[in-house]
Amino acid sequence: MPSLEETTQKIRETAKKALADGKAEVVIGYKKGTYPLSTAPFFARTPEDCDQLIWSNFARINLANYLPGRPGKVAVVAKGCDARSIVGQVAENQFHKDNLYVIGVPCTGMVDNNLIAAKEQRPYRDYSETLDTITLKGADFSTEIKKEEVLRRNCRTCANRTPKTADELVGPEVPGAQADDFADLKELHSKSPEERMEYFKDLIKDCLRCYACRNACPLCYCPVCFVDETRPQWLGKSTDPMDTLTFHLLRGLHCAGRCTSCGACETACPVNIKVREFNRITEETVMDEWGYEAGLSWEQKPPLTVFQPDDEASFIK
Amino acid sequence: MPEYIVEENALKDFLQSISKGRVLLSPQGVGDKCQITETTPDKVTLNFTNTHISPKTLFFPQTEWLMSFQKDHSKPHPYVYQDLGDKAKSAVVFGIRPCDAKGLSVSNKVFQNDRFTDPYWKGKYESVIKVGLACKDPFPQCFCVAMGGSPYGATGLDVLAFPSEKGLGLKPITDEGAKLLAEANLKEADLSSELKSQEEAAIKAQGIPDDYSPIDHRGLLNLFQDPQWQSIAENCLNCGVCTFICPTCHCFDIQDEENSEGGVRMRNWDTCMSWLFTVHGTGHNPRPSKTERVRQRFMHKLKYIPMKQNGDRGCTGCGRCVVLCPVNIDIRSVALRMSTLNMQKQA
Ligand code: SF4
Ligand code: SF4
Ligand code: SF4
Ligand code: SF4
Repeated sequence: MPSLEETTQKIRETAKKALADGKAEVVIGYKKGTYPLSTAPFFARTPEDCDQLIWSNFARINLANYLPGRPGKVAVVAKGCDARSIVGQVAENQFHKDNLYVIGVPCTGMVDNNLIAAKEQRPYRDYSETLDTITLKGADFSTEIKKEEVLRRNCRTCANRTPKTADELVGPEVPGAQADDFADLKELHSKSPEERMEYFKDLIKDCLRCYACRNACPLCYCPVCFVDETRPQWLGKSTDPMDTLTFHLLRGLHCAGRCTSCGACETACPVNIKVREFNRITEETVMDEWGYEAGLSWEQKPPLTVFQPDDEASFIK
Repeated sequence: MPEYIVEENALKDFLQSISKGRVLLSPQGVGDKCQITETTPDKVTLNFTNTHISPKTLFFPQTEWLMSFQKDHSKPHPYVYQDLGDKAKSAVVFGIRPCDAKGLSVSNKVFQNDRFTDPYWKGKYESVIKVGLACKDPFPQCFCVAMGGSPYGATGLDVLAFPSEKGLGLKPITDEGAKLLAEANLKEADLSSELKSQEEAAIKAQGIPDDYSPIDHRGLLNLFQDPQWQSIAENCLNCGVCTFICPTCHCFDIQDEENSEGGVRMRNWDTCMSWLFTVHGTGHNPRPSKTERVRQRFMHKLKYIPMKQNGDRGCTGCGRCVVLCPVNIDIRSVALRMSTLNMQKQA
């Protein structure tokens, strides 16, 4: 695989070319963050801007989130999961394919900062990264951590690392992706309905209802989310556990057949809630029922948006 | 007022003494994922960075029931709100950080001032004696000095504790703090020079602070109309994480929840980053886009609050929002941009 620096160079060249060729007025990518182990979304409009674009193991936020409703021609840097979200947005008429240029980055996974925090508690003000390692630099120590050991949960099970629908790939395909067998859900399925209820209640017990998970999600583009409706008000606004659970269950269902496990929700959550758990279950159900994975090709139609006369659908008579 | 010293093996006795007849509150948990909760002297630790979200929850819980009412006409006072009472308990908090104590003192002036008093805040804020813990080795995310504070700052505290060579140093700040320490039968010690040199070293360790003072001198409209709010807003998700975890953010929403028998009036944290925060019944929204909302957050913290509170800022440099913003919108960069007269394109 190319190094982070090589990919960075390639992204910059591609971005400049997309601007020069009139394929885009703005390139949405990542730039270096202002504190260790972070990146920030960056909107490059000039060749000089493009020189700030980078590639990193911390390019976690899904930039497809910035597409719905954006006017003009846009190029966007996308990992495998992000490119799938973009396909979904186009299928759902949230963005016109003609105005889009997808710069695909074959991805070897992104890092979960909480896993790093668990490995190194001493304070550090500086760090460096390669495609396979993260090095934390404190006042009197330097700790090297293998990326393999601190990958985000969603990246561990990812079977679509290469963004195959991209207009251009900035590197070779990532070899060796295995089909997702949903092994991470086995334990949950072994639980009784009551145990599962307990599990979910416990999962969200620290939830602040800030909705960062929703706002970071490329699927949650509704102009008014059901939790924000006031006439009628569907949901209470307090920290009542049932209201909080209702938010998560409904959001999970709204994302059924659409979620690409990009992990933006979990990355955004300030209190480390495994928000994706709700979506993961619907992802599996949609796979079981329709053999469907979201956003793999421009042709496929999301199963919950189409009707076929031979649909089983015994509940509709 | 004299300083006192508590030797390491006497810490438990000291905590026992100050929590006699009071609840003891202290940061509990692992690493930076801790929160101030009720605890016992043997569980208190000095080994933590800061609480994961700010300790404002002590005085300003995310959801607080204010009043209740019932609809049954056969019972007395139907449809009349009944005060649910103040749940304030006499307590001592040990280990609040200077940035948070200062941040809560900013909120205190919002909840209690010459115009009105919020009884729910007042009851809780005033029944808690605040023993702060100075930051001998400031953490990478801290910038309290740049915001006009100090790792040894005492604003909003009754007592400042700090790790001295001889044990735990204690400096009384208020009369209430002095009384607390006097009653604990402690050894007096002159620690003023040690305190001074520790503070200087800690300030130095934070690095040369950015100078945000030009914001105080720049005109309000000048700052307000700056086109650069748009580029900050372009990144922002309007998620509100930054406001929920902040020690000085204090905005709330009042809601009534009812069923066929009755209901409660409650207040919940709200956030200026949400469009719902300002939308009117007519549908008109005076802060219609992310740009106005982002501007409000930073202008409120760095311009409006200082104008109303004699220069004290609505940010105390705890660094939580810097670490937890999903898209790395960094208040230090924003403050720096507000400080430079010709705001340059967002770097
Ligand atoms: S889910 Fe897959 S494509 Fe997305 S960041 Fe993880 S490894 Fe990369
Ligand atoms: S981001 Fe986390 S805390 Fe906020 S609403 Fe989602 S799950 Fe709850
Ligand atoms: S946490 Fe960051 S993205 Fe969220 S509202 Fe605050 S500044 Fe915007
Ligand atoms: S604005 Fe950010 S750094 Fe400042 S006090 Fe609030 S959370 Fe802390």
